[in-house]
Amino acid sequence: MAQVGKLNYTDAKLGAPTSGQQTTRIIFNTIENPGTTSSLEFFKSFQGLTPGQTNLAASKLDSMESMVIKEILLLQLSSAGASNFFGGSVQQTLDVVIGNQTVVKDLPIQFNSNTTGQAFDRLHFNGGFPTDEAATPTSTFQVVGPVSIRLLTDIVLPPQVNFYVRINSNAGVYGTGAVVCALSGYGKIFSAGASF
Amino acid sequence: MITAQQKIEYVASKLGLDTLYQMQGSTGAVYDVDLEQVGQCFTNSSQHQYPTVTNINQNRFEVNEALLIEMIGVYSRNASTQEVDNLQRIYGSDSVVVFDLIIGNKRVLRDTPIFLAGNPTCFASGGYNVSGAAVSTAISGQMIPRNQIYLEGVGILIPPQVEWNIQYKVFNLVTGAQETLLETGEVGFYLFGTKVNLNFNTTL
Repeated sequence: MAQVGKLNYTDAKLGAPTSGQQTTRIIFNTIENPGTTSSLEFFKSFQGLTPGQTNLAASKLDSMESMVIKEILLLQLSSAGASNFFGGSVQQTLDVVIGNQTVVKDLPIQFNSNTTGQAFDRLHFNGGFPTDEAATPTSTFQVVGPVSIRLLTDIVLPPQVNFYVRINSNAGVYGTGAVVCALSGYGKIFSAGASF
Repeated sequence: MITAQQKIEYVASKLGLDTLYQMQGSTGAVYDVDLEQVGQCFTNSSQHQYPTVTNINQNRFEVNEALLIEMIGVYSRNASTQEVDNLQRIYGSDSVVVFDLIIGNKRVLRDTPIFLAGNPTCFASGGYNVSGAAVSTAISGQMIPRNQIYLEGVGILIPPQVEWNIQYKVFNLVTGAQETLLETGEVGFYLFGTKVNLNFNTTL
């Protein structure tokens, strides 16, 4: 079943509205100054974030909105703005929790990182190009790309259900800049079909 | 799963565009640069020079022309040299372009980010590196990320005779502050996808 069909199927099962503008939806959340931690949780805190750091106001979609998660992006930036290895390129795992269900569980993330990538899905693999890692990266001299994971099973994020993304590590080093998680896929945004 | 051509025909039938299917199917892209630095693209394309700034003379297609947008990309243009470049090299990896796409009165993409460090969304995160003795050391080993998103599903159709534009802002992800738009890095957008070109089947 393609993602368009799965979104409609799941929305119908849940009794969610099926009207609205169907579109590509990318939601993202930033954690400032994450430091060293064994558990990084995205989409849980929105306090103090600007529209350039998140495009949600709460850890759930609106009542008329839903989406399919097809891809997950993880990006680590230094305080000077350079793109760094996410969590220092040690092995970490990712969980996606929707409501009370862990819908993605202990998924390793480094298989699809930019330079250490050993992509298993050749259609959607993410680079793996060597760059000059000896160079000192800056904001405009980028040597490391984000981790980007294409999901093979479409995950539906229904309306009005809390969700979050958790990164598990052994004291992962995420630095003093910011880390970003984006969920991308096919979704619906509210669009009234009638005139007010 | 429907194809791009099927989606065009489906939307056209819903809109009562009975002859669109008779036109020439093609591949196309439209682009425009925000020369005025007002955070909008395509709105002022009628005042922009062809082809260095834009390839359209108004921000709506003529009768029986349409574009099914399958990819949206951002790039930069230097006002003085008119050269185009990768936006990451101007604003940096820590920046994000957040944009809306408006067709007619409808906002069909909302608060959509394109991360300049390399974007999420299907197939687009790769990037490539420039290295070796043949290039200057200033860019040796540098990764040039792709700044684009592929539209999921089939895409979004811009129908004939309907105005469209993009509203965007550039932010710094670390500080959250909005970036000042630069003359050395005027922001441009590509809309790329399956195109319908006007094609008369009768002798004029």
